[in-house]
Amino acid sequence: MDAVYVENMTKKYGQNEVLRGVNLRIEEGEFYALMGPNGSGKTTLASIIASVKSPTSGKIEIYGKPPEKAREFIGYVPQENFSSPMLTGKENLLYFAGLLGYSKHKAEEIANKLLDKIGLSEDADKRVSEYSGGMRKRLEVATVLFPGARILILDEPTTGLDPSARRKFLGLIKELKGEKTTILLITHIGADAELASRVGLIDKGVIIAEDKPEKLKKASGLENVIDIETAIKSERVANVLSNFSEKQKVLETDLGYRFYCNEFERATPEIVRALDAIGCKVTKIEAAEPSLEDVFFRLTEKTVG
Amino acid sequence: MGQITATLGRTIREFIRQKSVLFWTVAWPILWVLIGCFSFTGNVPDVIVPHLRGSITISMIAFALMTAGMANLPGNIASDRERGLLSKLKSMPIDPWRDFVGRFLGLLAFSSLALISIALVGYICGARFSYTIIGAWQSIGFVFLIIFASSGIGMLIGTFIKHVHGAIMTGVGITVISAAISGVMAPYSSLPWILQQFARTFPISSANSSIIYLLAGEDYAGYNPLGIIQTSLTITMSIILFAVGMIVYSRLCWMKE
Repeated sequence: MDAVYVENMTKKYGQNEVLRGVNLRIEEGEFYALMGPNGSGKTTLASIIASVKSPTSGKIEIYGKPPEKAREFIGYVPQENFSSPMLTGKENLLYFAGLLGYSKHKAEEIANKLLDKIGLSEDADKRVSEYSGGMRKRLEVATVLFPGARILILDEPTTGLDPSARRKFLGLIKELKGEKTTILLITHIGADAELASRVGLIDKGVIIAEDKPEKLKKASGLENVIDIETAIKSERVANVLSNFSEKQKVLETDLGYRFYCNEFERATPEIVRALDAIGCKVTKIEAAEPSLEDVFFRLTEKTVG
Repeated sequence: MGQITATLGRTIREFIRQKSVLFWTVAWPILWVLIGCFSFTGNVPDVIVPHLRGSITISMIAFALMTAGMANLPGNIASDRERGLLSKLKSMPIDPWRDFVGRFLGLLAFSSLALISIALVGYICGARFSYTIIGAWQSIGFVFLIIFASSGIGMLIGTFIKHVHGAIMTGVGITVISAAISGVMAPYSSLPWILQQFARTFPISSANSSIIYLLAGEDYAGYNPLGIIQTSLTITMSIILFAVGMIVYSRLCWMKE
């Protein structure tokens, strides 16, 4: 059975068409990541699946039912930090347990188990205002782990987290993946999307590609991505590099540039020579595995982040 | 635990734990009770002072109930919306009416806390009341009408003003202005004719005057607000404001976009 079935869905805000004929199927127990840049429509799609918004047209079913009749199956974690900063972590969970109709005793029992699962038992009685961003996000994910939720919709859960908090958070997601829960992860971070069994790339309200992460990379034809660090960064340097890159696409990074060239061995000396000719020293050059961000960039000529 | 109890618990905790909410709803009116009881009674004959202090205390209770309903409640709703909680709740199998009832009961509990605190300080400062048992029950009824009307207005503000600061400032603005021009913060007799008419029509000031009339006497209320027409109007308008607020909140705040 499909956990999510979306057919030819559109969503308009006035004249602005945010979703333009989206088709999507997520199987029960599947971990699906939807990746795209800001404004691509991924959050709108997630909130329609979560029954928060209505589509303008098209068909949508969650476990064979319209979303508003499938709310008991849906565990939605919006992008914002929705937990109450004035309540403790445990009080927040007890609040959601109360909303779901658990008795006081059962709610306590489940809240304690969940706090243990997300590693917040020791901080259970601290107010959420004292939590770090990562702790708060883990708590919010715990609100969808009450028994009954069959599909978890996580909207940009790692945005704004520091690397350590992000690692911990992704560890939790991996655990959930092992529990065979259906997960829809909305993200603009390739490394997060790579955890999924299938990834959809969304741009301008349309899913432009969809497959397993490795297959997407393979289908993109990208074998090598070249990361280069240069002494100077300028438009002239970027122009030189674009001559070596497929379709002249060059991405600026913190320390240099990233571009797409499948013949790393052959091209390297030429690249160094060409940059030397314009007085730019190369401090580091290496071939890297293409990421999903690279695949997206290759398909759309746009960056995801 | 049910949805109502859960929402009630959360609302009351959020109100009580926010220092700014506590200050403006409890401490600020108490400060005015203190100022009123000791500064505005200088040239007043001793025999009048206890009841004058009583009427000041009642007005400050009314002001606190107005602040709770018209500023704290919309602030709470707008905050839930701004931080994504309303979106989260919309995705859950939750009945908007139960959420409304939970919020309202939370407000009621918090308002009662403010009422008791202010009344206690007023009493310690020498505020005294003279009342009959029936008058006391009637006064409690008028307190409920103030809470109904204020929370109805608060629900409307919280529904239509999307941002937290906007909602709170709008609520505070309406509270302060309506309290000033309707005789809650100023003696009824000092108001110009047109504002006296407003004071009789606006359900909150009318209920406030009714309580003062019942617990302190006509001299302190400035007029007799318990005429059949005015009392009916006060009850009707309070209930209408509450019902409109409740319907608008439950429909529009919970509507799928």
